[in-house]
Amino acid sequence: MTKTTVRLGDIAHGRSGDKGDMVNIALICHEKEWLPLLESAITPKLLSKWFNGWSEGPFEVFSVPGIGAINCLIHRVLQGGGTVSKRLDSQGKALGQAVLDVQIAIDSKIAKRVGFIAERF
Amino acid sequence: MVYKLNRNHMSTTARIGGGGGFWGDQTLAPLALIEQGELDYLTIDYLSEVTMSIMHKQLVRDAEAGWATDLADWLKAGGIGMLHSMNVKLVTNAGGANPRACASMVLSAAAEIGWNDCVVALVIGDDISSRLSGVGATGAELEHMFDASKGSLLDHTERVVSANAYLGAGPIARALERGADIVITGRVADASLIVGCMLHHQGWAKNAESQNLPLCGPISKWHNDENTLDIIAGWTIAGHLIECGAQVTGGNSSDWLEIDNLATIGYPIAEIGADGHCIITKPLLSGGAVTPRIVSEQLLYEIGDPSSYITPDCTIDLRSITLEQITPDRVLVQGAIGIKPPETLKVSATHRDGWMAAAELAVPGPKPRMKAERLNQVLKERLEHCKGLNIHCEFLGDGALLPPNLRIDSSPPSEIIVRWVATSHDKMELAEFARSIAPLVLTGPAGVCGYGARARPRELLRFFPTSIGRVLIEPQVHVRMLHSWRHELELRMPWLEEHIFDRLEDMVATQGVKSRLAGRVLKRLERVKEGETIHD
Repeated sequence: MTKTTVRLGDIAHGRSGDKGDMVNIALICHEKEWLPLLESAITPKLLSKWFNGWSEGPFEVFSVPGIGAINCLIHRVLQGGGTVSKRLDSQGKALGQAVLDVQIAIDSKIAKRVGFIAERF
Repeated sequence: MVYKLNRNHMSTTARIGGGGGFWGDQTLAPLALIEQGELDYLTIDYLSEVTMSIMHKQLVRDAEAGWATDLADWLKAGGIGMLHSMNVKLVTNAGGANPRACASMVLSAAAEIGWNDCVVALVIGDDISSRLSGVGATGAELEHMFDASKGSLLDHTERVVSANAYLGAGPIARALERGADIVITGRVADASLIVGCMLHHQGWAKNAESQNLPLCGPISKWHNDENTLDIIAGWTIAGHLIECGAQVTGGNSSDWLEIDNLATIGYPIAEIGADGHCIITKPLLSGGAVTPRIVSEQLLYEIGDPSSYITPDCTIDLRSITLEQITPDRVLVQGAIGIKPPETLKVSATHRDGWMAAAELAVPGPKPRMKAERLNQVLKERLEHCKGLNIHCEFLGDGALLPPNLRIDSSPPSEIIVRWVATSHDKMELAEFARSIAPLVLTGPAGVCGYGARARPRELLRFFPTSIGRVLIEPQVHVRMLHSWRHELELRMPWLEEHIFDRLEDMVATQGVKSRLAGRVLKRLERVKEGETIHD
């Protein structure tokens, strides 16, 4: 499997929010057809690597095909929740934007199949 | 789908505005929305997980406080007159921890402009903080919703500041059906504000009223159609989309760079159809934008598993929802699938858990990272003797908003803000922490600046989500006019009073899940009554 590295923000845009001690990061593909790219690249295992030190999980990724999106759930990541978190971003509101600059490995075959062309977003 | 400019309530499409996203949002936004929105209903969600506990704390200090005062600000800045003259009904959870005081304010604002027949309805019954032990006696476990290791809310009864069940749309719809011009609620699920308007607008509430169906019962029984749950799902999604105000019209959007008129951003309007579809739009000439990209970000905002988004009115599968730009700033939303909601309601509770204080200082280059590290080390050494003190430190400007593995390796920033947050159950330790910040300017590494006022410890409120059987929640609707009660609809379940047994027996006699739950409650209450202590 050949991999290519791209900036996550070239595939998707995002928004994050909190619910108790959980943060959800919604990533919506710029083109609905690109969803398989995100689905194969962003896995609970990758999230656990990303959030190492901040959360021990569980991590979940759900597909939302109607709008070409995935919804990533990071549990127990706010030090107990928005009211007690000591971080400046106590509700994880910045995460949906901040992750867009992260480089991710995507499957070149899938990229070709879904017609992915990296653009600057 | 073309919207016809028809304010007649027989029109099947309702135009519902979302005038704010939280207590503290742009105070006067509702005025612009009423003026330019051609609305049938204006809804405003003022509450969040945190807000209720702040309001409860205010209520303890002042019997007239504990509600969203932003409401008074815009009503008194001309809003109440506009609602009246433009015939827009207002539905809001501004009541917070003290809906009665909030409703009194609304009535007096109406009186000031001579709107003497203004009908204000109160929706209450969400607040269970004062009767937790009674709830516990029924056998309700009130366990932490997501983390069993956190035990039960009942373990914290002494320290509970707030505990509110999320009521659904039913009571709101019944209030509107009884002629309310303005509905003030306590903790109602955000989207239910909108669903309540639709239940009234489409005549479902009329059915419920004529059949005398329970306020808190499933609203799917209010309408007989095979698509009933999907319709409720669609209305709930419309509500979810506009309940955060301008977050669906271009605020907080990844497309911020392309939106050059955020200063005049318009607040959202949902044109909601009888069949459950909706069109999200905003007032003409307002700033912001409504596009599928923007709406999609709000669609998944604060959502967990998209196949089962749980609300009191309906559980929703939103995986098949589609968004389509029809004309500029108008997005068609359809395809939500409704599932029967659970027999329990979510409860948001908070309890006291010590104290917290925050402080920050800035360090310049050269070597800003080393300076920041050294500064933090000095502070921690000076406070080492405070054994109960837990200090969190982050370097703003150097990747603090991301977890360590995602921080992009870059050259040092030109300066760093060092931010500390300390917690302790001993308030004195926090006072010492606060006193230790300013001296670092003269006694730490070179160039430290940015010292502000000494940090003031604030009480830490820990959020505790749990759930409760619907049968244990007693929503009430009180419809009120100036100086008089017009009618009062009460479905009372006075806690641990004698006739609770009669009521429960009546419930047992009905069919279904509610009957079984009531049966269980009844058995337990009888055991409690006989002096037995129940452990489980």
